Amino acid sequence: MIEILERDQLAAHTADVPPKIDIRHVEFFYGKTQALKSVDLAVPANAVTAIIGPSGCGKSTLLRAINRIYELYPDQRATGEILIDGRNVLDRRYSLSALRRCVGMVFQKPTPFSTSIRNNVAFALSYFERLSRGELADRVEQALRQAALWDEVKDKLGDSALSLSGGQQQRLCIARTLAVRPEIILLDEPTSALDPISTARIEELIHELRRQFTIVIVTHNMQQAARVSQRTAFFHLGELIEVGDTTQIFTNPHVGRTQDYITGRYG
Amino acid sequence: MPLRRKFADLLALGFAGAATVFGLTWLVWILWTTLVEGGAALSPVLFREMTPPPGESGGLLNAFYGSAVMVLLALLIGTPLGIAAGTYLAEHGRYSRLAATVGFINDILLSAPSIVIGLFAYELVVRPSGQFSGLAGALALAMILLPIVVRTTNESLRLVPNTMREAAFALGVPRWRVTARILYKSALAGIVTGVLLGLARIAGETAPLLFTALNNQFWSASLLEPLANVPVVIFQYAMSPYDQWHELAWAGALVLTAFVLGLNLLVRFFARGANK
Repeated sequence: MIEILERDQLAAHTADVPPKIDIRHVEFFYGKTQALKSVDLAVPANAVTAIIGPSGCGKSTLLRAINRIYELYPDQRATGEILIDGRNVLDRRYSLSALRRCVGMVFQKPTPFSTSIRNNVAFALSYFERLSRGELADRVEQALRQAALWDEVKDKLGDSALSLSGGQQQRLCIARTLAVRPEIILLDEPTSALDPISTARIEELIHELRRQFTIVIVTHNMQQAARVSQRTAFFHLGELIEVGDTTQIFTNPHVGRTQDYITGRYG
Repeated sequence: MPLRRKFADLLALGFAGAATVFGLTWLVWILWTTLVEGGAALSPVLFREMTPPPGESGGLLNAFYGSAVMVLLALLIGTPLGIAAGTYLAEHGRYSRLAATVGFINDILLSAPSIVIGLFAYELVVRPSGQFSGLAGALALAMILLPIVVRTTNESLRLVPNTMREAAFALGVPRWRVTARILYKSALAGIVTGVLLGLARIAGETAPLLFTALNNQFWSASLLEPLANVPVVIFQYAMSPYDQWHELAWAGALVLTAFVLGLNLLVRFFARGANK
């Protein structure tokens, strides 16, 4: 009930409030292969936007364009504009460091750094901010609490992050991202490598985080999209087919291809 | 048919076994001879006294000292340079043509005959300075060590999965910090293994020292003079007609072999750490 109310409020919201992320005519190329075709998508602030679609449809590619992580590979490029708070982050002059600090990303497979749990969280934090030992410890605790991991690791912050379970490692990656206080969090199939219980914990966490952050989640799991998101965008073969409120997309899609995918006719 | 298979199986097994025995025989023979002959000559005097003139007893202290100094200096020069170059090849220049070319040249350098490197150091240092010196020896050894460290650093860093790189870069941290704090940690065991293998290799090198450090009958702590060292002493003493020198050569060979063996065990230890 409350869920639905929230969604309705949000729908009313999106009309007049400018989007947090405004994606305009974005095209993406892996070498000569085009992976995204003129994508236009507005992502509202303080909500979860799910991106769904069959494998190879460009979901992850879109996420990787938003924080420009694709620039690690010289043969990948994006054209068009991605405006965050009105500024085009695809512009070469936009500082990568500032962009990625503002836009955190969590990947499909948990990627703990082979160092202590504490250092995993402090790694980026201590680069961006000059903090005393005490302040750093506070911020590490805060991030771990936000990621619902604190109670499980508070007595072993010095232990290797590799000693944690897969689900814990993924929450550690989320904590690490939250520590630098981003505004946007990109989640690239964050639960696809996890068991159902860990998945449920992460979904709860996403629900919590939505109040403070703008979240974009790529998922293969349509139930998950329906559970965690307020808006859903359906991609197919590099094109945005349909975007709308999650309830509408799942109950009353306007486009035939969306319906076919949601009802499992392909995927 | 089954009989024929059985026969073929036996034949193959027989050949494989014979080849193993053939290969191992020499190794065991060498080790055994070194152990017996060197063991007989082993005594504390070895580490207390200088290399003697013919007909007198003595030790190998100056040779051990010279070898240690040169190997250590080579390590000090070669390791940071090698790690830096390997990091460039694996990280900064990963997709550049320059890095590919440098990597290729490094592989050539890796298999360059050590005597050529000795001659190069001779031309570079000994000739201009008009003096054989420990410094020239250390430089020659560093040049042998360098490509080994470059190669293993490059390869260990490339083994770090890209997902790790992406995760670190996605936090907005610049490349140097990602490399220093995250990637080196993951590649550490591989890099240490490379340095230790390089160390084992240069500890026993004789040819590059013949043209550079030469040898020194007497105690000398100066790097600017000819410096005694274990491999060249073994070489010279083994060729000499004096029994006492022969004994010392055996003892030196044993100590050197034990050192290299110990290093290799250490390498295995680190390599196991890497696989965990």
